[in-house]
Amino acid sequence: MDVFHYLALGFSVALTPLNLGLVLAGCFIGTLIGSLPGIGPINGVAILLPLAYSVGLPPESALILLAGVYYGAEYGGRISSILLNVPGDAGAIMTTLDGYPMAKRGEGGRALALSAVSSFFGSMGALLLMVIFAPLLSKLAIQFGPSEYVWLMIFAFTCLATMVGKRPIKTVVGVVIGLLLATVGIDSGTGILRFTMGIPNLFDGVDFLVVVIGMFAISEVLILLESWARNDLKLTPVGKSFVSFADLMAVKWVIFRSTISGFLIGVLPGTGASIASAVAYGTEKRFAEGKEEHFGQGDIRGLAAPEAANNASAAGSMVPMLTLGIPGSGTTAILLGALLMFNITPGPLLFEQQPNIAWGLIASMFIGNIALLVMNLPLIGLFVRLLSIKQSYLVPVIVMLTFVGIYSIHGDTFDLFFMIVLGVFAFILRKLGFSLAPVILGLVLGKVLEENLRRALSISGGDWFILFDGAITYVLAIATVLAIVLPKVMKLRKK
Amino acid sequence: MLYDRIFAGAFLVLSGLIAWTTYHFNVPFQYEPLGPKAFPLILSGIAALCSVWLFIKPSQNTWHPTKEVWVKILSGLGIMVLYAALFEKAGFIISTTFVGTIFSWLFGEKLLKAFLYALVLSLISYFLLADLMQLNVPVGILFGE
Repeated sequence: MDVFHYLALGFSVALTPLNLGLVLAGCFIGTLIGSLPGIGPINGVAILLPLAYSVGLPPESALILLAGVYYGAEYGGRISSILLNVPGDAGAIMTTLDGYPMAKRGEGGRALALSAVSSFFGSMGALLLMVIFAPLLSKLAIQFGPSEYVWLMIFAFTCLATMVGKRPIKTVVGVVIGLLLATVGIDSGTGILRFTMGIPNLFDGVDFLVVVIGMFAISEVLILLESWARNDLKLTPVGKSFVSFADLMAVKWVIFRSTISGFLIGVLPGTGASIASAVAYGTEKRFAEGKEEHFGQGDIRGLAAPEAANNASAAGSMVPMLTLGIPGSGTTAILLGALLMFNITPGPLLFEQQPNIAWGLIASMFIGNIALLVMNLPLIGLFVRLLSIKQSYLVPVIVMLTFVGIYSIHGDTFDLFFMIVLGVFAFILRKLGFSLAPVILGLVLGKVLEENLRRALSISGGDWFILFDGAITYVLAIATVLAIVLPKVMKLRKK
Repeated sequence: MLYDRIFAGAFLVLSGLIAWTTYHFNVPFQYEPLGPKAFPLILSGIAALCSVWLFIKPSQNTWHPTKEVWVKILSGLGIMVLYAALFEKAGFIISTTFVGTIFSWLFGEKLLKAFLYALVLSLISYFLLADLMQLNVPVGILFGE
């Protein structure tokens, strides 16, 4: 079977009227959410997840919708970055550096158009790489046994800890909290209850949706309450929106390099858009050194690089999620949780056994990207106007959607209270400088990690050296050590 | 007092509790070497190590909420708890109008305008969510089951 055959199958799934409608709706809603101040991609996907689940969409359609929201929001996030200097999420911070100065010069339209085109090429390039590499990776992953999976997850957590955020220890704490949350409920091996505190609602484990919504959406509302101030943000005028051929030619290699580095960083488990855009920006700045450069003052290369990279990494982070079942970013962790809710276990067999899901998603991403480019150039005025939407109108909608979404899963008020408790907990974590992505990653992977660890030890009869059996385990173990050591060495060399 | 130290202390206590609870799991039968105890025990060990580390090397406090901020956060929290309590009994339309009004008002809208917005929002959303999307949205006692 070759790639083209599967890709054709994927398009036949993605082009059914329902799925096509969902891609377009997802991209549109995603851009809306991304351009709304204060709601990043991760919140958008989180808020819509229970709705997609309760409406009863088939799994591939739900995934297509949510993925559309995800990369739609990555597109939309640049609008507030460029025009307001307010990044919607960590991945968009680099976009503000050169995007906002351009907008201040009155070139907002040029910046928006160029960033849309860079995003487009970034994600299209990454999708092509994905089509080539995902099947290869899944072929390799079929040889993975329980020990390899244990190492893979440890590697993912290590990458997350050493590369994201300022304090690795806080990331580790976050991961441990997530893993502990995953142990709540009936143990599948022996049937005993663990940490349920006698609450029947917890016998099945903590509901993934309740945790995600509570931790992201509820804590976000509290943060909005805290940071809200009466002064209205000033919009810079957009000016004419156009893409000039000269601009594109000037940044073609920038986009090419940033796409590749963004994709690779996205594929690495645990690292996502924020690192991809930072690396791409840094690389281009170094490339341009000595030549004429105005990085930080509205250089188009400084705008194209992070935009191409963060969209490439969004596609890249789907690769380990689909082929290994290990998410590459916080948002893909939520998508993975969504798949698990539909009783689909992503992993090497997904591409063989359920090609309609894996390839349908990939094909829908191609369609979605074209739709996004088409939507973003003429409709930019509409999205820009959203920036001035008042929080007094927005927040009631967010609160309402979270409550309806959670209530409609089981029809039980316990979930609502539990959601609020988790929201307060997450608010405290965020205020203390913990990031939430590790918690979600831990929660999603907790069961898999424990199962694989126990399976490995069952095979060996309790001998822990099974974790060092076979070449792949050694490679992964060395990669883990490198992930700890390399960032330290690079920091030392910088000094 | 550094917040990180308080957190580390609480997390240490929690990890102890987890280890204690895990140790006392009653496992009637077990066919594998690790069983249901090992994984939580390992995690509580890591958690304890992390809390000690965090206690020794805490970050500076970067969060300095004023009294005003506290009032706002706590009132927002109170309203959400109220929403959760009312949601099923009073039904979606009444509870959403009420909660939406207060939230809109908390974010600077005039009370009457906030009320009108919340009313329209809850009516339209009820139709969209319950009829169009067929979601499980509570009607409430006032309108009958």
